[in-house]
Amino acid sequence: MRLLIFVLLSALSTIGQAAPTERQLTLLTVNCLQCHANIHTGAPIMGDPKTWQPILAKGKQQIMTHVVEGLRGMPPLGYCSACSEDDLVTLSELLAGEALQETPR
Amino acid sequence: MKRRAFLRGTGALGATGALALLGGCKQPSTEPQSPITYQPGKPVPWINWAGNQSCQPQHRPAPASIDELVSVLKNAKGTVRAVGAGHSFSAVVPTDDTLIATDLLSGVIDHDPATNTAQVLSGTRLHDLGYMLADIGQALPNMPDMAYLALGGAIVNCAHATGVNFGSMGSYVTSLRLATVGGELLECSPSSNPDIFKAVLTSAGALGIVTDFTLQNQADFDLTEVNKIEPLEDMLDDIENRKASNRHFELFALPHASVGISVTTNPAQPGDKAQGQDDPQAVNTLRDVFNAISWIPGVGSSLYDKLLTAVMGNEAETIRTGKAHEVFPHVRVVRFREMEYTVPAELGPACLREIMATIRNKNLPLSFPIEYRYVKADDIWLSMFQGQDGATISIHQYGDLDYRPIFAEIEPIFWRYGGRPHWGKLHTLKASDLAALYPKHWRDFLAVRQGLDPEKRLMNAHLKELFGA
Repeated sequence: MRLLIFVLLSALSTIGQAAPTERQLTLLTVNCLQCHANIHTGAPIMGDPKTWQPILAKGKQQIMTHVVEGLRGMPPLGYCSACSEDDLVTLSELLAGEALQETPR
Repeated sequence: MKRRAFLRGTGALGATGALALLGGCKQPSTEPQSPITYQPGKPVPWINWAGNQSCQPQHRPAPASIDELVSVLKNAKGTVRAVGAGHSFSAVVPTDDTLIATDLLSGVIDHDPATNTAQVLSGTRLHDLGYMLADIGQALPNMPDMAYLALGGAIVNCAHATGVNFGSMGSYVTSLRLATVGGELLECSPSSNPDIFKAVLTSAGALGIVTDFTLQNQADFDLTEVNKIEPLEDMLDDIENRKASNRHFELFALPHASVGISVTTNPAQPGDKAQGQDDPQAVNTLRDVFNAISWIPGVGSSLYDKLLTAVMGNEAETIRTGKAHEVFPHVRVVRFREMEYTVPAELGPACLREIMATIRNKNLPLSFPIEYRYVKADDIWLSMFQGQDGATISIHQYGDLDYRPIFAEIEPIFWRYGGRPHWGKLHTLKASDLAALYPKHWRDFLAVRQGLDPEKRLMNAHLKELFGA
């Protein structure tokens, strides 16, 4: 776990985002990565920007609605009962590799 | 034509508006996937995986240590509940007061190579636990068929897998620590607080929050799982042989069809090779085919049966082989709602046959496969397997359909077979019904509960119905 968090923190410098907290990275590994790092789930994969572009195009509010309420295979809150709204935004940006935009594309 | 492509092509017929015609299976009403709406800038609601339970807690602590958890629980305001992965279908979690998330309580605290035991934090997800244990040369002897659950929620709600020689997950716990609403951290085992130990292992979180469990594991091992399409009656006729001669056996019965799926799992042998692939969307394909055909007056169900038999009957086996913690769980991305009862093992085939006949005779609009498993008896006070080997039968409905009409037709069948409902899944029983199902220890459990939480701080509305508090 510690090694994974270190790797993720290091990777952030290459995508130009504010660093999430260690707590948020733990939430990422405990919850999000079980699907977003598993090619068999059909979920968009962390580190594969192309798969995230259609999602990012929806804009922040639509994305957050799907994150909180769930959508198809995406479970409500992404399984993260400990997550605040800020946590969910940060984790979504971390997975997608760029900041969520207010305006849909 | 490939089986899946053919079935998908057939399923496409279902979108032609024929569903409204009279006759055949009536389609169930739909309901929104989310029970509550997200409002930007306001505290996010809590919603379970299935999307049928929700709440808006005023306080949502997520302690990162056992000490912090003990303090948070002692000082919690109002009705306090704990949540792990939120995979329970029943309302064991919701509270609008204090909801304690265990996401950050994840990991192996300690382990003993000599005894293959490991002390594990209760928020650890099963999908992580398999790899954590592999790193220390251990493995769970058995695992549920999906690994999204948190260890704590899985154990206290009596999660299980399949295998006549394997008990529920709680039966592999050698000791645990329980944080109480009084601010204590109790060591519980067969020799220390033994009554609390036997009570808390299946307690739906009514006694406190378990911080960690010591698990009796075994040395890391490999498995091979074989999935095969077979006539359901052939499997049931041969059930005694199959459950006895395999480390794990379960089957999926397909409503309105005479074929089913057998799942046989045994220690891997040299030369075992993977074949085919798990298809997480297979249940959606099945649904599309059912919707395309079942509406046809008079012949819909029989045509569906003939189609599945013809197309799936000669399908090659799907084989998965590898580390046990990678073979036991499957990807589950199609949301559903579930009711599961455990009946005495020897009554399992008759109960399943009656359910299948009821679905067929009443033309119930259900296509989601029914899961049938075996679990060894234990002596956990409120375990569904307390004092008896059990056959578990799980009824599922797609997450966007109203499950209630179907479950209402099938639940009384379970009652006739002395069925005990799964604590984390949907059912309609209340305290008086449950007391009759657990004659040996029901009162013992209530006494332990009263002693640990006399002010009922852990009792939400659902738990009050369950335990009559």
